[in-house]
This record gives sequence, C-alpha cells and structure tokens, in this order.
Amino acid sequence: MKLWQKLYIFTLILFILIFNLAGVIFIEKNHNASLKREVNRCFNEALTINSGVDTSLPAFRTLDRYIDLLDFNRRIIYKFADDYAKKSNGIYLEILDKKNQEIYSNVDFLLPKYREEINIQKMNERRTIIREVGKNTYIFITNLIEINGSIFKLTYMRDISSIYEQKKEQYDFFFRLEGIALVVFSIFMFFISRWISKPVKELMRVTKRIAEGNYHERVNLNTKDELGILAQNFNLMAEAVEENIHQLEKNNLEKERFIDNFTHELKTPLTSIIGYANLLRTTKCDEETFYEALNFIYEEGKRLEELSFNLMDLLVLRKEDFKKEKVNIKELLIQVKKVMQPKMKEKNIEILIDAEPSEWRVEKNLIQILLSNLIDNAYKASERDTKIYLNLSKEKEKMILEVKDGGIGIPKEHLDKILEPFYMVDKARTRANHGAGLGLSICKRIVEVHGATLKINSIVNEGTSIKIIFNKKEVEIDESENNAATID
Amino acid sequence: MKKKILIVEDDLAIAKLIEINLNIANYETKKVMDGLKALEIIDEENFDLIILDVMLPQADGFEVMEKIKHRNIPVIFLTAKKSVFDKVNGLKLGAEDYMVKPFEAIELLARIEVVLRRYGKNEKVLNFKDIKVYLEERIVKNDGNTVELSPKEYELLCLLIQNKNIALSREQILGRVWDMSYYGGTRTVDMHIKALRQKLDLGNHIKTIYKIGYRLED
Repeated sequence: MKLWQKLYIFTLILFILIFNLAGVIFIEKNHNASLKREVNRCFNEALTINSGVDTSLPAFRTLDRYIDLLDFNRRIIYKFADDYAKKSNGIYLEILDKKNQEIYSNVDFLLPKYREEINIQKMNERRTIIREVGKNTYIFITNLIEINGSIFKLTYMRDISSIYEQKKEQYDFFFRLEGIALVVFSIFMFFISRWISKPVKELMRVTKRIAEGNYHERVNLNTKDELGILAQNFNLMAEAVEENIHQLEKNNLEKERFIDNFTHELKTPLTSIIGYANLLRTTKCDEETFYEALNFIYEEGKRLEELSFNLMDLLVLRKEDFKKEKVNIKELLIQVKKVMQPKMKEKNIEILIDAEPSEWRVEKNLIQILLSNLIDNAYKASERDTKIYLNLSKEKEKMILEVKDGGIGIPKEHLDKILEPFYMVDKARTRANHGAGLGLSICKRIVEVHGATLKINSIVNEGTSIKIIFNKKEVEIDESENNAATID
Repeated sequence: MKKKILIVEDDLAIAKLIEINLNIANYETKKVMDGLKALEIIDEENFDLIILDVMLPQADGFEVMEKIKHRNIPVIFLTAKKSVFDKVNGLKLGAEDYMVKPFEAIELLARIEVVLRRYGKNEKVLNFKDIKVYLEERIVKNDGNTVELSPKEYELLCLLIQNKNIALSREQILGRVWDMSYYGGTRTVDMHIKALRQKLDLGNHIKTIYKIGYRLED
C-alpha cells in the first residue's frame, strides 16, 4: 500500500472511531441525565402521593365514621387514589392489597403478567423499575403504605417514552451529521495525504533515476519541513557520489591511457627489434640493409632500456618512503651543472646559476633527478649557442627553483597534458632522443613528494620557464635540528 | 608490373622494416610519417594498397581512413592498439584487414597477398627463372613444358616463389600449406622440398638454412 493511501485510510478509520465514540458518549450521557431527572421527578411525585395519604387520613375518618374498619381503609385509599389520578395528568396509580387484589387502578394499558416489584415486603423499601410495555416505556415505583394498621401496595406509573424518543432522534441526527462530516473529511484528507506524500514520491523518482546511473539528477523540493531537509541532504549526498564517480571515471581513463600508451611504447621498439632480427636471420640482404637493421636493433634496444629505467623511477616514486636531509641547494645546482656539462658542450649551451647559498630539507637524489630532467628538456628545446638559467629565489612563504630556457617553447594546447605519462609534444623529436615521454611525469611525482607545485610558463619560439614552488614549511630546517648539528 | 604500396607509419624503424620486407617480396613502396602527408601523397599518386598505423601525428589512422574511403584503395591497419573496439572500428570504416604489433613479416606479406587477390590486383602468373605458375589454371610450366605436381607440392611452390629470398621455417610452411590441423611432422615438408627440387631442377635454388628451414634464392 502506498504511503498516501496508508495515511488516508488510517486517518479515516481513526476519524470514524473517535467521532462515533464521542457522539455515543455524548448522547448516552445526555439521555442518562434526562432519565435521571425524570426518575427524580417521579420519585418526588410518588413521595407526595404517599405523604398526601397520611395527611388526609383524619379528614376521611370524620367523613366515614360508621363504616366497617377494614372496608373503611380500602375506601380511603381508593378515594384518595381516584382523586389524585383525576387531578394530575399522565400518571397511573395502582393500589393492591396484601394479597395482590386490585383496589384501585387507572391503568389503560396491558400490564405484564409477572411484576417483581409487587412482591415488596418491607415498609421503608421502594422498588423502581423501568419497563417497556407495548411501544411505550413506563417507570414503575412501588412502595407499601399503612392505613390504620392495614398494609397496601401503591404503584406509581408514568409514561417516560418521550425521553427514549429524544435519544432516538439524537442518534438519527448524529448519524446524518456523521455522514456529511465523513464525506467532507474524506475529500479533504484525500488531497492532504497526497500533498504530504508528494515529496516522498519525488524523492522516490529521483533515487530511482540515480540508481539507474543518472548521477546528475537532483531532488527539487522547496518545503522547509523534515522532508525538505532530507531532500537537501540527499542532494548533498548525490553530489558527493557524482563527484566520486566522476573522479573514479577520470582515474580509470587515466589508467587506461597509461596502459594504452605503455603498450604502445613497449610494442613499437619490440616490433622493430624482432622484425629486424628476423629479417637478418631469414633474408639474404645487402651490406647497407644489414648495417641499417643492426643499427635499428641497437637504437630501439636503447629506447627500451631508457623506458624501463624511467618506469622504475616512476614506480619507486610511488612508494613514498623518502628520507629528507639537509641539502645546500646552491651546491647541488653546481653539482648538477657539472654532471650535465659534457652533454651541453655538444650544442655549446651554457648553464648559468643565480642563487644564494641556502639549506633546505629535501631528498637529494630526487632533486638531482628532477633538475637533470628539466635541464635535459631545456637542452632538447634549445638552439646551439644559447643559455639555460637556474634561478633560486625566496618569497614570503615560498622557495622557488626555476629552470629557464630560450628554446622552441610548448604550444598552449599541450600545456595541460604535458605532465601525463607518455605524453609527447613532438613524437619524432622525443623518439630521436630515445625518450618515452616519462620525464615530466617523474618530475611531477618528485615535486609532489616534496609537497611543492610545478608551474610551467611557455611562449612558442621564445622559451619555457618551469618553476618548482616549495612551501617554506615543507623544506625549512628546524632550529632544533640546526642546533643539534652544531653540537655534533 | 610491380604493385605499389604506401606505408603510413610514424616510427621510422618500423616503417623501414616494412619497406625492406615488401621490397624483398617484390613490391614497390613509398613511406610517410604522418596522417596529413599520407592524405597528400594519396591525392598525388596511385597506390594498390595502403598499410596504415592508427596512432599518427596530425591526423590519426581512422581519420585518414574516413577521408580516403571513396578511393576504394584496400587498407590494412597495422597498430599497437589491440582492443576489440579499435579492431571493430577499423574494420567498420572499411579496412580490409587489421594487424596488431608486433607482427611477423611473413604474416603481413600473406595478408597483403590475400587482400590484393580479393581486389583482383595480384598476379595471375608467378615467375621464377624459367618456371611459370598459372594461378587460375593451376598449371606449372618449366621452360614451356608442363610439370605434374601434387596439390601440396603446387602450394609449396607458390609459397616459396611468393616469399622469394625469405627463409621460411618448417613450422611456417606446415602452417601455410597443410593448415594448423596437420600433425604429420616436419619430415613431410622435407619430402615435398625434395620432390620440388627434383621435378623442377631447383636443387641450387632452394637452400636449406641451418636451424631455420628453406629459402628460394635467385
């Protein structure tokens, strides 16, 4: 059953129960009060009759002094009852003697055969019974009265049907009222319950869409109640999920591209090596082809070697257990310059260092790899007889290491992909240098290990500047460390 | 007339390797290193077949394929990309075949031959010295005289002539002439080579290559 249906049916059932209960209680209470009032009135009247008999007894005695005593008593009571019954409206009197012989009765309806109240024995007892006779309801009040030593049973009766009719009328009215109320209530409640459960429906629709893979779907609810808050929180959750999925997809794509590129980089030299080797072993070829083939095998073998070393670097860099130590960066720059010098001579390129002596906490070998990679890139981009600059500078919270060249530059469209593994701006040129496009990826990892950032500025045909921006906090040497060093 | 084949491959070593192999198999070749140059040269010259790499600078192999489709030149993709998706994509674009690197020269030659035959472009007669093999009639003539060969001997002869100057291992010969399902052993190959040498007087030309197999030489 749907939520709105539950809401609707249960409120409807509850309404019927409470409305009926309240109505019945109200009517019954009302009826009981009326009945009680009526019964009290009857009591009083019956009492009046009883006392009336006592007070009028002396008068009767003077009137009928010659009459036989027993008969006299009967006549007194008869006379009295007759008088009273004629005077008052709507009441019936019945007087019986001890043996239940009727002395007086103005009852004009059929009395039931068995009446327990006439078995009354005690003087000060009074029996009250409400009894239905035919279509009407009567109250019977019976007590004993004594006249000159003789005992009589006096029964007072009154028709109280009107009270029961009133009750019946009230019930009729109540049920009609309930019918109308129920119709009105059920119409309103139908719309209310649908309106209340509408946000749930919306939530349901959206969750289903998201489960189907439409992660951009959001709940659109403007209510301020708990459901509104739920929708808001749900949207936040959906956003987080979407972001995660997006990130995962991105990672996956990156991984896929890495593997694609990796297989390509691995297969190309292998294809050549195997192909040429096969050529040499199966074909009779001239000397030129023979040496050309051998040369290709050698070159491609070198390329594979380079690739495997670079990959090793990249793999090692993923493990992240590096020991940073105190390094004088200026000395390190000079050292790297020395190592690169022989290569630079081939194109007569000069490396210029502009740096103050300063000590940083870094992983020395990694920074060396980083610098030689960057210088190597600069070298490849540069013309003959040019310069490469290594600059060291400080800003407020930053330490900046810059490698700058005046080479061919990097076209804008490559800038954002250049750090990806295997990405090559100029494939032929990279290949000619045995490159596999891994250098900058390695640099990126080294920079990440040091919590630094890498910034590339490049203008085509004017040159490239690569800045490694270290956070002072990451590379600064603690005072305590310094002291310890001096004590040593 | 020699068939002319265009090699589009950005890796110089591989381009050269394909070229040498095709030249040995008596094809004329041209090679270019990127997609745009390929399109240019296809505009200028006529080719019987194109061997096309997928990952190319300027314009990739799929783009090139798209643009030259209307010329009805058979294309064989030769690439390191081996996913089914790439394969299907290449073949859907109308390529005749799809080969994955690393490849073997003999397989490439075989596939080229199949594609050319499908296009009716390959030779109807194979020549070697005085021997002529009429492929449609399945007749072999040596110096004008018809020579009777068994079906397997005939196929072996075709294979040797088509791969002239290239050494074929006994396993390769078995695979091509007897299918992979044949388990007769390499002795069968030796027997048939012996028969060919006798029937066609090729004793000096079918060389036994140590540790590899046989090679037909001029």
